[in-house]
Amino acid sequence: MDSPWHCTVGANLRRRSAVKKILSGLRAWTVQRVSALYLLGFTIYFSLHLLINPPASQQMWRMYILTPAPQVTTLLFFAALAIHAWVGVRDVILDYLKPFPLRITALAVLAVGLAATTIWAGALLLG
Amino acid sequence: MRLSIYRYNPDADAKPYMQNYEIQPQPGDRMLLDILERIRAIDDSLAYRRSCREGICGSDGMNINGRNGLACTTRISEVKEPVVLRPLPSFPAIRDLVVDLSRFFRQYHSVHPYVVDPAPTRPEKERLQTPEQREEINGLYECILCACCSSQCPSYWWNPEKFLGPAALIQACRFIVDSRDKATEARLDQLNDVNKLFRRRVIMNCANVCPKGLNPAAAIERIRQAMLKASL
Repeated sequence: MDSPWHCTVGANLRRRSAVKKILSGLRAWTVQRVSALYLLGFTIYFSLHLLINPPASQQMWRMYILTPAPQVTTLLFFAALAIHAWVGVRDVILDYLKPFPLRITALAVLAVGLAATTIWAGALLLG
Repeated sequence: MRLSIYRYNPDADAKPYMQNYEIQPQPGDRMLLDILERIRAIDDSLAYRRSCREGICGSDGMNINGRNGLACTTRISEVKEPVVLRPLPSFPAIRDLVVDLSRFFRQYHSVHPYVVDPAPTRPEKERLQTPEQREEINGLYECILCACCSSQCPSYWWNPEKFLGPAALIQACRFIVDSRDKATEARLDQLNDVNKLFRRRVIMNCANVCPKGLNPAAAIERIRQAMLKASL
């Protein structure tokens, strides 16, 4: 006799590809909200910092942004931005783009665009 | 009373059209269903579903002046004329105001809408609940499956096959929060993917149109909170 559905469904879901579940369902929802909080906090802090203590020159700005704390928090900002944008735009693509080739192309363009932007920001900040 | 009603008979009509009717309400006619019954008395080709005529069976869900509702609980004194009646959006029209709800009920059955208890022995009498446990399912169990909410939900329009829709999800919530059910983890696991629940966009049309005054959007949020708690 087959097992009842409630005994098998959890195990079946756990067997699914980890890649497929990496940013879907609750995890994607949670990551989007956590990243939104970080983006909000960073934007407020950074804006206030620039208002209160504006750099006198490009050299001063460069010195400031390349010190470890701003460097890491800014890098995290771009990473959070990429993840947040991925979940949000992916949702829009899933809702509106129905033809599979169009959908997969849009998702690929989005993924490459966000990855390239984040890597570029990382290279600037660490360079 | 003037009405404009969606007509479509796939055996006879090349395409749907709107037919106008003018009906004089009689004493005792209070609800839109009473007027539809009068129309059918003079035009028996008009098709619509109805059964209990008092908002219990959920059969006569239709789009009334752009908003889903039950004809049997919609007062004729409160609708603007001409009353435009269309079948529930997003479902295939079978004929006139009758839609094919196969998908809707397939989604409803997919959430296993019954208490699951794998215990080998059954209780001798009933499965007891405290008043507090019973309180949990208030606002959920009253759903009559009229499909007004799912049919008015843009997220459901966009992904009708993948997103379960507010009606199936309020039913899922009803069993997730039920203290007698022992399959909560499996139920939450089942809904935790990119489509079944997480296509909802908090548009709240479901709560706005529910003829029973329920709030499927809040039920979906409860499921999400339960998922979050279970994952911690």
